[in-house]
Amino acid sequence: MSDPILSIRGLKKSFGALTATDDVSLDLFPGEIHALIGPNGAGKSTLIKQIVGEIRPNAGTISFEGQVIDRLDAAARARLGLARSFQVSSVIPDFTVLQNVMLAVAGADGHVFRFHLPALMDKTLTEPALFHISHAGLAGREGTPASVLSHGERRKLEIAMALALRPRAFLLDEPMAGMGLEGAKQLTTILSDLRAEAPILLVEHDMDAVFALADRISVLVYGRIIATGTVAEIRANPQVRQSYLGEEA
Amino acid sequence: MTMSRDLIVNLVIFALLVAVAVGAEIAGQGFTVTLATKAAILGLAGVGLNLALGYGGLVSFGHAAFFGIGGYVTGIFASHAANGDPITTLPFTLMGSNEMLGIWPMAMLAAAVAALLIGALSLRTTGVYFIMVTLAFAQMIYYFAISWPRYGGEDGLSFYVRNKFPGLNTLVPIQYFAICAGLLGLALLFTAVVTQSRFGLALQATRQNEQRSTAVGIRATPVRLTAFVLSAMITALAGALYADLNRFVSPSMFSWHMSGEIMVFVILGGVGRLCGPVAGAAVFILLEHLLGPVSDHWQALLGLMLLAIVLFAPGGLIGLVLKALRRADHV
Amino acid sequence: MLLAEQVLNGLQYGMMLFLMAAGLTLVFGVMGLINLAHGSLYMVGAFACAAVAAWTGSFWLGLAASLAAAAGAGALVEMLVIRRLYPRDHLDQVLATFALILVFSEGTRWLFGSFPMYLTLPPALSGAVTLPGGLQYPFFRLVIIAVGAAVALGLWVLITRTRLGIRIRAGEADREMIGALGVDIARLYTIVFALGAALAGLAGALVGSIQSVQVGMGEPVLILAFVVIVIGGIGSIKGALIGALLVGMTDTLGKAVIPPIFARFMEVSAANTTGSAVASMLIYILMAVVLLVRPQGLFGARG
Repeated sequence: MSDPILSIRGLKKSFGALTATDDVSLDLFPGEIHALIGPNGAGKSTLIKQIVGEIRPNAGTISFEGQVIDRLDAAARARLGLARSFQVSSVIPDFTVLQNVMLAVAGADGHVFRFHLPALMDKTLTEPALFHISHAGLAGREGTPASVLSHGERRKLEIAMALALRPRAFLLDEPMAGMGLEGAKQLTTILSDLRAEAPILLVEHDMDAVFALADRISVLVYGRIIATGTVAEIRANPQVRQSYLGEEA
Repeated sequence: MTMSRDLIVNLVIFALLVAVAVGAEIAGQGFTVTLATKAAILGLAGVGLNLALGYGGLVSFGHAAFFGIGGYVTGIFASHAANGDPITTLPFTLMGSNEMLGIWPMAMLAAAVAALLIGALSLRTTGVYFIMVTLAFAQMIYYFAISWPRYGGEDGLSFYVRNKFPGLNTLVPIQYFAICAGLLGLALLFTAVVTQSRFGLALQATRQNEQRSTAVGIRATPVRLTAFVLSAMITALAGALYADLNRFVSPSMFSWHMSGEIMVFVILGGVGRLCGPVAGAAVFILLEHLLGPVSDHWQALLGLMLLAIVLFAPGGLIGLVLKALRRADHV
Repeated sequence: MLLAEQVLNGLQYGMMLFLMAAGLTLVFGVMGLINLAHGSLYMVGAFACAAVAAWTGSFWLGLAASLAAAAGAGALVEMLVIRRLYPRDHLDQVLATFALILVFSEGTRWLFGSFPMYLTLPPALSGAVTLPGGLQYPFFRLVIIAVGAAVALGLWVLITRTRLGIRIRAGEADREMIGALGVDIARLYTIVFALGAALAGLAGALVGSIQSVQVGMGEPVLILAFVVIVIGGIGSIKGALIGALLVGMTDTLGKAVIPPIFARFMEVSAANTTGSAVASMLIYILMAVVLLVRPQGLFGARG
């Protein structure tokens, strides 16, 4: 097995008496979709925030492509290629689809302090942006303001922006949330193809999507990983069935 | 289609201001030329604030600090030029000056330094804190200006001759208007270029959704600080022009009331619209000129008008105009 | 002893700032609203006291009037204007309340003119007391300190021991939830706003009694209250108290102590001017230090 792209060791986070993350370790290997599942309140969002750099853990370490990134802030981690999407779509509402993705291209580029050239005439921004927009399935919607996009289109926009970061890993936070049946199927295909770009750490509630997409699954309960394995292994795991799947199966 | 309509409205506003001044000059109405000059200067102050506020989302209630700095730099240089004393002899001898082209860079530099300090501290906060902190720092400078007697303290500082500009007689109202309008035009051009650039994209993104900006690798604070400093420099230039207009500076240029007024210009015209502050300043001066003689308490009416705009017409006057034009489209 | 006198002055100044800051921080904590017109309510209290005291000859009636007028004006403004601002962003709140300042200021100027009014204290409150150690100190200033302490205690009791206090604390924690729980939000907000206004009005009347009453007296105090809140942390009454005392002491002691210290290094008149200029900046420097070290304020919530 090659080295993991993303490696989390012994992560701990408490808020006063509440332990939100309890000694979490997990790896994301190249080429895989690693799903993270768990009941509500398990601490998934706290874990995500620590990975992307919004919260500082109390203990533990995170490595990205072999480099320890604990001291880096969220923007720096994004520039390294850690691309995230949000549970509730987070886009720039008054910008068009094109401007949104151009922003991501500019951010990934690292050169934001350019004052003289109108952004829309800057080919180093527009060309990559247009490419990622069509790659994410939004061709034809470039000039649409993000605020009027449909829910599914907004999800695709987030994927386009993630692609613009020249990602080395994706961290997707419940991308299926709020998607209807047809949209979910489309998105599942897109995500499966995304795996070729970079490995995905997929936090999800939608078990259909998880079983269809995941190469491996980790189960998070009360802030701690109780099991990691293939889909078959996790489905058969009695502890998992009891504390999580058991409630659904 | 809407884009070019915005551009037309902006050009019309600027052109109107120039037309009023030129028309007044031809008609021999010197006072109106001075009013137009005042509108250009206060509009320039608003253009500066608009960059930070309208485009950057930074609610700075202390921009009078920079307006005053620009004014006082001008006043200090001019008065030292008049009496021949050096301004300071450490670390090097700095003499006064009465050349506008020499004073303006100094004014903008002083404001940039102040904005760097104030901005770096204030941007450690957000939301309400930011508003309060910027207001507080401006107030600090206000009190300092009052208690520093060397430049007049509370009474302010007069200088008798307007500073010089090569090739022009700055004391002739229409010529001074030309200088002010010219600088206003440059500032508008600058704002247009900057806000359409890559930096402008990042700035407006951080205003609308900081979390998303961070997620694509853009740190908000350096972007905001840059916008804050640039905006301070423009407002300081306006302060310098204002000082030369009145040949007088006083601590009131630093007051919270002045900060509020500059904000009113921006809001009246429409936040985040290029020429909004110019329209807003023009309306303000018109009101002052028309209502002032009617009642000493005209600012109460201004207050009611402002209240109405905030509550019922948040796009400002330009927003109203554009809406009316759009409705005319559908008729 | 000069120092003891300045310490008491600082305490008195701090208590007055606390009255202002408490109302501001309460309104922000519960309703999420920044109110620039708070200074106008301070002014309304001062004018009401001065006017009623002049008409009736009774300072006590004036004081009662200041509370009633400020609370009444606050409630009125809340119902007519402020209420529409809760869902709006801070910029709109700033502009609308700035507009209110203009209306209040010009309105007051129209009613009372631009010249300052003065209040005479009743014999019961005037004069000086001899404190242990031999210092003669104005009785009324001690009263202000006592009033401030009483208000702090009263607020503490209100917030921790009464039903209103529970609603206030719940409202600070989760605005939508208390509506769902059946609390009449509109009335709660009006009461909180009026309470803040009353405190401001009281401060105005008290200070007006030792200085003067004039249009525009409220805004400098408002800005100082902002400094207090930034230092103490927004939404925290304890922060408002500690912050206010810190600011009051720093300012008063600074102005008393710095010019003489400077006089050791430079000649007296330069020391006085430079010294007082520097002293006037001291509290803002204090605020800057807090911003560097703990931007959310001493008792503010982190993040």
